[in-house]
Amino acid sequence: MSFLDIDKVGFTYPGWPPVVRGVEWRIAQGEFHCLVGRSGCGKTTLLKLAAGLLHPDTGSIRLQGQEVVAPGPQLGFVFQSPTLLEWHRVIDNVLLPVSLQHKPSAQEIDKGQLLLALLGLSDHARHYPRQLSGGQQSRVALARALILEPALLLLDEPFAALDAITRAELQDDLLQMCRLRRTTVLFVTHDIAEAVYLGDTVAVMDRGRIVQDIRVEVGKPRSAAMRYGAAFNLHCAQVRDAMDMATA
Amino acid sequence: MKLTAARTQRCSWALLLVVLAAWELASRGSGVSALVLPAPSAVMKSLWMGLSTGYLWPHIGVTTLELVLGLCAGCLIGFVSGVAMAESALLQRVLKPYVVISQVIPKLALAPLFIVWFGFGMTPTVVITALICFFPLMENTVTSLQQVDPQRLELFRMLGATRRQTLLRLKLPSALPVILAGLRVAVVLALVGAVVGEFIGASQGLGALIIASQGMMDTPLMFAVLVVIAALGLLLYQITHAVEKRLLMPYTRIS
Repeated sequence: MSFLDIDKVGFTYPGWPPVVRGVEWRIAQGEFHCLVGRSGCGKTTLLKLAAGLLHPDTGSIRLQGQEVVAPGPQLGFVFQSPTLLEWHRVIDNVLLPVSLQHKPSAQEIDKGQLLLALLGLSDHARHYPRQLSGGQQSRVALARALILEPALLLLDEPFAALDAITRAELQDDLLQMCRLRRTTVLFVTHDIAEAVYLGDTVAVMDRGRIVQDIRVEVGKPRSAAMRYGAAFNLHCAQVRDAMDMATA
Repeated sequence: MKLTAARTQRCSWALLLVVLAAWELASRGSGVSALVLPAPSAVMKSLWMGLSTGYLWPHIGVTTLELVLGLCAGCLIGFVSGVAMAESALLQRVLKPYVVISQVIPKLALAPLFIVWFGFGMTPTVVITALICFFPLMENTVTSLQQVDPQRLELFRMLGATRRQTLLRLKLPSALPVILAGLRVAVVLALVGAVVGEFIGASQGLGALIIASQGMMDTPLMFAVLVVIAALGLLLYQITHAVEKRLLMPYTRIS
């Protein structure tokens, strides 16, 4: 049995053509899966279905054998924009998932501080989000998603608005954080190189279907040097071909 | 020449002095009656007399009290009904037409009715002031509560927040800047409401004093009262501005 099991899932927004059509997808525990596709191909919808924010019209989604009906603490979600609450300090933003349940304990506050330290933001814990750069805000959003130690982390183009260098740093941070916790990850992006660098597997989506599932055979852990290696570029070309074929 | 804040402020003061000096000279030289346009010196004398003899203070007190009471009541009711209407689509559909009607009727036209209902004195003025303050607060509260970023709402859903938590911890803080902008508008309107309300149905207060000075043909006193009203408005505006700046500090600070 796989960790996340998406079985013949279909979804339609009322009054529109189907967005997700008969998607079959299995993710094993601790794996990092990327989902690439053009804008509007249904990848964000699929992610929201996996999160339980939307409910499939057909088929089923199971997490560790349990049907996903509503979002819960087993899931971490990172949105396209950092969506920090600008009236809370950075540390309170990180602790938001906790403080909505109960008053954070000293232990939980320490955990938040540790997460911030791992992401190089120790000095900013008492600052407000507006005082941080875009990359730092994205890091805070990541820390917030990880505070409850979710088994599954879902990310929706979280680094799309960042410059190339900051994005590369955040990709390395994300890989490291997930490796430490053996978190299973589903990462949506439209950047092919990002998908190949991060993923164990890259799925290509087009018009509501997953058209190809590509295993990335590049050594782990990934490092910046690999971005220019032959194997890496081969995979990028493969993903690109899959996207072109789907459109043709 | 670079215009620093201090320099522009000095320019403002200089302009005031120039205007006052020109006014003083004009009213002395032209022979226009003090009944029509009293010289600034006469106005200041009247103002000083009013303040030092204690004649003006009770009137200032009454107007301030009416204003604060009306402002508090109007803003409170406006805020609460704004929240209720933003949270309940049904309530909004049912109440909206009545709210709009209550706003298109000029409130001051209701003053004579309020005098019939509440008698002369402070009550009709407080009611009018409250009615005037109600609308900007309600309108801004409804609008801003409904314009919360959908991704943030999804975030709160993801985190399993209750409706109450979503309102108190997401919607209201997000809406705060716009609600405070409504408050700033309400404060300015409240002063208009209080003064004009007193024109019609009061024997005490700065508005009543303007009417009285008109009756006594004491134009310098009328100008003196206008100066007091302007000062009162300026003070209230500055207080609101300071409160707003303090509350919105996390939203605006970028360094």
